[in-house]
Amino acid sequence: MAKNPSRQRNSARGMTAVSMLFFFAGFLLLALKRWEWQCFLLAAVVPALIFAGNEILPHLFPSDRLLLCLTNFLCALGVLILYRISPERGLTQALNYGVGVGGMVLSAQLVRHVRSWKLLTLLMMAGSMALLALPLLIGKEQNGAKNWIWIGGHSLQPSEIVKLALLLCMSYLLSRRKALLSILFGGACLAMLMLQKDLGTALLYYGLCLAMLFAATGSLLLVGAGLAGGAGAAVLGYKMFKHVKDRLAVWQDPWKYANDAGYQIVYSFIAIANGGLWGTGLGLGNASSTIPEAYNDFIFPVILNEFGLIFGVIVVLMYLFIVIRAVMIARRSNTLFHALLAVGCAALITLQAFVIIAGNIKLIPLTGVTLPFISYGGTSMLSSLCMIGFLQGIASRNRASVAEDRALAMQGGDAP
Amino acid sequence: MKKLRKNMLRLAFVLCGLLLLLIAYGAYTVSVNGNRWYSSPKNSYARSKRQNVIPGRILDRSGTVLADSDAEGARLYPEDESLRRATVHAVGSSAFNMKSSAEYFCSAYLYGARVSFPERLSAALRGEKLQGDDVKLTIDGPLSVYAASLFPTGKKGAVTVMNYKTGEVLCMLSFPAFDPRDTSAAPAGSSTNRCTQTLTAPGSTFKIVTAAAAMKNLADWQGRTYLCTGVLQAGDREITDAGTDRTAGKLTQHGSVTMKEAFAQSCNNTFAQIALSVGDQALRRAAEDFGFNDAFLFRDLVVEDSRYPTENRTEYEIAMTGIGQSALGASPLHMCMIAGGIANGGQMMEPWMIREADSASGSRRAAFSAQAYRRALNAQQAKVLKEYMRAVVTGGTGSRAAIPGKAVCGKTGTAELDDPKNPGGTIVNAWFVGFLDETDAPYCLAVMVENAENGGGTVAAPIAKQIFSWLLNNGISP
Repeated sequence: MAKNPSRQRNSARGMTAVSMLFFFAGFLLLALKRWEWQCFLLAAVVPALIFAGNEILPHLFPSDRLLLCLTNFLCALGVLILYRISPERGLTQALNYGVGVGGMVLSAQLVRHVRSWKLLTLLMMAGSMALLALPLLIGKEQNGAKNWIWIGGHSLQPSEIVKLALLLCMSYLLSRRKALLSILFGGACLAMLMLQKDLGTALLYYGLCLAMLFAATGSLLLVGAGLAGGAGAAVLGYKMFKHVKDRLAVWQDPWKYANDAGYQIVYSFIAIANGGLWGTGLGLGNASSTIPEAYNDFIFPVILNEFGLIFGVIVVLMYLFIVIRAVMIARRSNTLFHALLAVGCAALITLQAFVIIAGNIKLIPLTGVTLPFISYGGTSMLSSLCMIGFLQGIASRNRASVAEDRALAMQGGDAP
Repeated sequence: MKKLRKNMLRLAFVLCGLLLLLIAYGAYTVSVNGNRWYSSPKNSYARSKRQNVIPGRILDRSGTVLADSDAEGARLYPEDESLRRATVHAVGSSAFNMKSSAEYFCSAYLYGARVSFPERLSAALRGEKLQGDDVKLTIDGPLSVYAASLFPTGKKGAVTVMNYKTGEVLCMLSFPAFDPRDTSAAPAGSSTNRCTQTLTAPGSTFKIVTAAAAMKNLADWQGRTYLCTGVLQAGDREITDAGTDRTAGKLTQHGSVTMKEAFAQSCNNTFAQIALSVGDQALRRAAEDFGFNDAFLFRDLVVEDSRYPTENRTEYEIAMTGIGQSALGASPLHMCMIAGGIANGGQMMEPWMIREADSASGSRRAAFSAQAYRRALNAQQAKVLKEYMRAVVTGGTGSRAAIPGKAVCGKTGTAELDDPKNPGGTIVNAWFVGFLDETDAPYCLAVMVENAENGGGTVAAPIAKQIFSWLLNNGISP
């Protein structure tokens, strides 16, 4: 990005124009079909938000525009699809999106300006443990897992917030060569999640810890041990929890359980087949009414149903570009902490997208995690956008240090 | 930092690999399973779309119409009742969800899901119903009618004829059949296609597989002779041969035989011995080479997965598996594919039933062609087994299938099953699987008559002979 900023600006501008047009047309179509004023409003507001996010935000603080364009597109896509599934959820998600952008800006500033992470890390470690204990104490069980708490009528999933803390703590501990402590902390988080029976999130935490350990140490031995431990935990989980066994049985032959446990995945298949290459068209499919969890775990099949497989490939490629961008930012950063943080964000976003989409198409057994940026949910949206915020913060630091080097070199000072 | 950058790059490759794997697997699974998903009876979307579509016609391989539709979209069937009945399991009926039928599996074509956007638009502008695509099958109408006329009246069973070089299914009959014009008179269970959906013990036709296992695993299989004393003690039970009556003190003994002689005479004693000496693992591997325990994902046929039993493997059960009993389950279509694999030099072809789909205006929507399924054994082993199967017809249990001057090969089978109506009693299913070893008539078949009065050599082999003669005299339209 330092090489040719003007070219990046041009391609970002092109993307902004395309996404604005796409969402204007999308919401207008829904509005004409349903004749709801909120939808007309969204047809104006969402493109405006995309313009603001892609074109105005980068002027307020230095950031990676391509990354912004991609995330804004995915978030807006989530709002569009959710509005199509249920207007109420769509409007809530638009609000979540707004709050998430605020979180993104804040976390970018956090990464830019905080110099010492030592105290923060300690606080976060203690806080995470407390937060993860909450659902066990006051939570209630849903879909076999006990991972939600209710505060004043609002549901909250602590593991989504702790995810960010884990990311920051792991980055800090590993950058200080405290691998053992980081493993212990990661293990403790995992154990808490296992107790909550939130196996999807446990899988994500596990993958994240493994990826970061590998990035920091490069030790295949450590990763091998981690994999062996994971396999052991998986076997233990299989023996301990009945719903793990059920999930595996459904994975092997969902059609056999088409009327109960395999219901969603079977209808997900049918939705994909009905969509074909080009989709049934926005608002014309029926996946949103046949799949009960269409707004959450199974939002991707709804996208495939109405927009088609080719669009689905484009969405996956967008995640791919986000990851590539994140790794580029990681490789350019000049402190170990920031590099690890960036690569951790990349790993977490990929793993999360992979685990749920692969579950939807029966590549792996289904575990309920949200599709980053798209699935319904305030906490999930916030944590995903905060990760983008971290990346933006690191990117702007990188750029600042490049500019500094350049200025020093011009003054004739000795550049490092 | 330099090392870190390298690690990060490696990690990035893994992460990108995961996402690309999603795309690759997604493309794979949709291309293999998409049609199955679409045709599912649970697909209410597809069903609701049908209201505005005039379904396309279903044609046999020479273009004879097997199913048409009127201006309202209701199905019309041909005048000839015997043709209707002989093709009903291949064509299907809108009254039943008949897996493997064209009506079920080609619904995406027949009901217009593959119609392009411009065509939809023009139909909508003209205010007409959408016209679904015509589907042309590999089925041969006249052959089906003839083969159906040979089947013993009142019996249940199945007849499958395939081209073993291409895998095209030429005839797929299941009895009892019904008339699609009058589905209310359909006998109970007649919508089941016994060719593809019924798994049952293949009896002695499975000895093809046992013989293949021997060739693959016993170094001295060619020189070895077996002694058939009429009774074989396997574990705590005895295995005897056809015609044995212990109470009358009557034993069928083949004496000292080679594997080829035992195969031609269908000697249970020998093949039970072979199963025990190759062992359960090796026999199972050989069966899996022929497609047992595989998840059949054929392009346009839904075939029940054949099973080689994995539980309760006592010595007696292993020995019984060697002669096609135990808990073995195979469909007649699969046994037909196995015979075809031997005929085709060990290469089994994927069975298929849809040749092409054409739009109402006559433009080609899709065309299909032959695909290999799997290699069951090498060409040398297949050649030997072909000789074995020839010996069955020239001087063994299948002599009633012989046609002078033509190389008919085959294997008979008489599978014993528990009688569902009479607990403790047994019934027999008569089998014949075989093929014509003629370059210009590469056809294989499987005939299965349930609850037959006699064995496969007596009941099923003559039917096979007549079908083969018909094929040699009339040929199949290209």
